[in-house]
Amino acid sequence: MILLRHTTLLLWKDLLLEIRRRESLMTMFFFGTLLIFVFHFAFDLVPERIVEMAPALLWLAFLFTGTLGLAQLFEGERGNHCLDALLLSPMDRGALFLAKTGFNVILMVIVEFFVFPLFWILFNLRSWNLLPTLFFIAAMGTIGFCVLGTILSAVTLRARAKELLLPLVLFPLMIPVILATIRCMENVLRTGEIGDAMPWLRLLLGFDVIFLTVGVLIFDWVVDV
Amino acid sequence: MEIPAGECVALLGPNGAGKTTLLRLLSGLIYPTQGEIEFEGAKFSRSSIELRSSLGFLAPSEHLYENLTVRENLDFFTALYNKRASAASVDEALVAVGLERWAGEYVSALSSGMKCRLSIAKWRLLNPGLLLLDEPYGVLDGGGVDLLEAFLKSHCRKGGVVILASHHVSRALQLCDRALILHQGKLTFDEPRRDPWDSFQRAFADFLPRGHS
Repeated sequence: MILLRHTTLLLWKDLLLEIRRRESLMTMFFFGTLLIFVFHFAFDLVPERIVEMAPALLWLAFLFTGTLGLAQLFEGERGNHCLDALLLSPMDRGALFLAKTGFNVILMVIVEFFVFPLFWILFNLRSWNLLPTLFFIAAMGTIGFCVLGTILSAVTLRARAKELLLPLVLFPLMIPVILATIRCMENVLRTGEIGDAMPWLRLLLGFDVIFLTVGVLIFDWVVDV
Repeated sequence: MEIPAGECVALLGPNGAGKTTLLRLLSGLIYPTQGEIEFEGAKFSRSSIELRSSLGFLAPSEHLYENLTVRENLDFFTALYNKRASAASVDEALVAVGLERWAGEYVSALSSGMKCRLSIAKWRLLNPGLLLLDEPYGVLDGGGVDLLEAFLKSHCRKGGVVILASHHVSRALQLCDRALILHQGKLTFDEPRRDPWDSFQRAFADFLPRGHS
């Protein structure tokens, strides 16, 4: 219960700071939409090819925008040594992990909420009815990305050139999430339902649950590195 | 080294002696590779989450969120320490440090001295058993120093412990009951205050600037 209360408190604080500074969300939003425009101009795709390419292109955009968010995740705590202030407090450090993960998930989901329709409009896709299912799959992938990303963002917190180091460490470990999300989305776009892609969705769910639990348990050590 | 309840201790020594490291060890920000730290009879470790609510670290101008207001900072930290602070008690703490007019201002609008006053208000509200201070005098004006010292004296009178690391030796010695001198990571002096204090003068002479008598 206390873990949940501290998580909510930290999440409220992060959201309040983001509303006032508008740094991460604006950067992620403009970068995400910019990438979709670049893809639109770079690829002259016929409708059949778009269905094959859409999941990969969308996830490429989400990965890059998400990495921008992760790089900024602990920046607010570095000024005035606020991270030390949090670590001094009688707060379970798992709460810090959950709050930071939740914060990045919220930012990414907001960006995805705008990027998805933009992609559909620019590439002239007609399957608007599939958007809620695709959005759900993308959100599951986003949770996996943010869970692992938050752990690694904390690991690289005190490293030099952490903006370069983070994607180098994160992307190889993200392969199961990327693969599962793209396969699921591809199947939904081709057949109109999750159907055969269910094992991939289970993998995604398993990844989210396992790394969320591991993150809560090990974050005390991770944040001390 | 043992520090009984109600004692105010000055932690002195040259740059690089290990004062801040010792404070960070005592606060649980880092963990010892050798030896143990006990607080109120309990060994301090990673799992000592409850003990942390009895520890305070006053670092002037630090540990505050610049984009939260003065009041929001106090509300946030009291909630984080599982304390219930009413609006009236927050107001009272702000009046005590002379920041009542700034309650709705962002911390980024405050000067370093005012941030230090806000930190005093924060720890006044949180009321930890052990209060650690790292070089608090540098940013405070005369009134601020009086305010800080009155707060620390009152804290010790109520049974709290204060460990104050500072280069302002004369001020620290006036306030504290005991002096510790660290040199190259080792405790080289540990005595209660007395008058005259020749042993302290001898121990500290090595760190005085050349030409100083």
